[in-house]
Amino acid sequence: MTDGGAVISVRDAGVRFSRGRRHRSLRDRVLRGEGGLRTDEFWALRHVSFDVQQGEAIGVVGRNGQGKSTLLKLIAGVMIPDRGAVEVNAGVAPLIEITGGFVNDLTVRDNIALTAGLHGMSNTAIAERFDEMVAFAEIEDFVDTPYKHLSSGMKVRVAFAVVSRLEEPIILVDEVLAVGDKAFKRKCYARIDELLAVGRTLFLVSHSETDLRRFCTRGLYLRQGQLIEDGPMAEVLARYESDSSASVEALRKGAG
Amino acid sequence: MTQHPGGVTLAGRPTTSSASARPRRGAPGPMERVAAVWRRRRAVRLLVGRDLKVRYASSALGYVWSVLEPLLMAGIYWFVFTRVVTRSVGEDPYIVFLLAGLLPWTWFSATVGDTAKSLHSEAKLVRSTNVPREIWVLRVVLSKGVEFLLSLPVLLFFALVTGASIGWQIILLVPAALLMATLLLGLGLLLAPLVVLVRDLERIVRIVLRLGFYASPVVFAVPDVPAPWAGLFALNPLSGIFELCRAGFFPGQVHWVHVGLSVVISIVVLLVGWTVFARLERTVLKEI
Repeated sequence: MTDGGAVISVRDAGVRFSRGRRHRSLRDRVLRGEGGLRTDEFWALRHVSFDVQQGEAIGVVGRNGQGKSTLLKLIAGVMIPDRGAVEVNAGVAPLIEITGGFVNDLTVRDNIALTAGLHGMSNTAIAERFDEMVAFAEIEDFVDTPYKHLSSGMKVRVAFAVVSRLEEPIILVDEVLAVGDKAFKRKCYARIDELLAVGRTLFLVSHSETDLRRFCTRGLYLRQGQLIEDGPMAEVLARYESDSSASVEALRKGAG
Repeated sequence: MTQHPGGVTLAGRPTTSSASARPRRGAPGPMERVAAVWRRRRAVRLLVGRDLKVRYASSALGYVWSVLEPLLMAGIYWFVFTRVVTRSVGEDPYIVFLLAGLLPWTWFSATVGDTAKSLHSEAKLVRSTNVPREIWVLRVVLSKGVEFLLSLPVLLFFALVTGASIGWQIILLVPAALLMATLLLGLGLLLAPLVVLVRDLERIVRIVLRLGFYASPVVFAVPDVPAPWAGLFALNPLSGIFELCRAGFFPGQVHWVHVGLSVVISIVVLLVGWTVFARLERTVLKEI
């Protein structure tokens, strides 16, 4: 059962990656157990716990490689934690690895139908929303061209148009807003505002302080895979900022 | 925890429309996995439909192409084994005997080859959509299964042309297809994650399939195999399946021992394959 109706509940989640090529063998399991590490392994996420209520807008901050994308993948369900549990009680619209769900050889039209269908959109819904998605992505002239002939900007626009039109209560956005020109960015922002206004839950991973402050009320700060801070966005950003300048100072002192 | 300043309007509150949203907790047990796949059957239909569309609608000859390959194979084997080599195996009309083994074999080898690399070749889709991962294997089994069914008219055509007798046992094609699907699903679930983790396996699978053609009673029947080896061939789950496929034209071909072995082995392979798949899923998702 969920804790007081939390829509996402993460308990002591841990994800372990192997730096090398070998995978855990039976010997490793016996010698080191589930909590131990081989020398070439590291924890991308460790002891991460938090709850999310429906309607919250959460920003995830941290330096690159500190576990943000991994956390989003856990919530999207495309990665399974090695420790702990991730409980998600509502549908998720993932804008992560955003162009990954598209097939190069198919036309844009077929791709939209495929991706939308795989994410759970019914055929009638796809038919209804098709023109809207195409219009949002501004690719009316390219609907029947193979996906591989689109520019990377167009690809992102199509992907964003499709995934943002999924009627799911939770949206995950992974650094996608960094792509695209100003006009498209404004469209994206407007769309996200719309989605939030009807009570969707937002998870945003971004390096842009403006984006984070604009959309998110709560922040999660990940450092070396651990949840260092979980609180109001402004405080989390301040903590992140002070940590960054502290490490730059340390570097300078070390070099000097 | 702060509330979003925009608030929540009940009228506009989005409800989960997709079939995918169910509480996701920890590791799902076997029954949950089956239920999860069933719930996303629309996704399976979508993918199979896409495969068939690519196969049949994209080329000018379409349907003809898909029967041409087994037809040509059957043609050359028939020629070699009736005109070139002195044949003392199988039954007459040989073309019917041959096709009744070659069509299911085509389903088998095409599926094993494709399921083995299914997770690897669809890596992008696998890592960006949250569908039960079994679907990538199931989709190949069903796509090739439909192609098998659509190639059966060729078999019937030759049966009529050569005047072969068609008995009530033709209905045994149904359990044959079900058994084959079970076996293929098990093998696919077993191989797909292993191929992601050990890339060389893909090549090994290809080689084994080529050998498997002669290790299976496609051009001959199990009783044709000399005494000490016949037992080994009987252990091949395809033996029972092929006999069921041939039953409609050659009722004497069915040996219920072989069929029984097929049933047992197919079910065991399915259980083992699914267990291995579930165990390796986590590692595969990191690797993809």
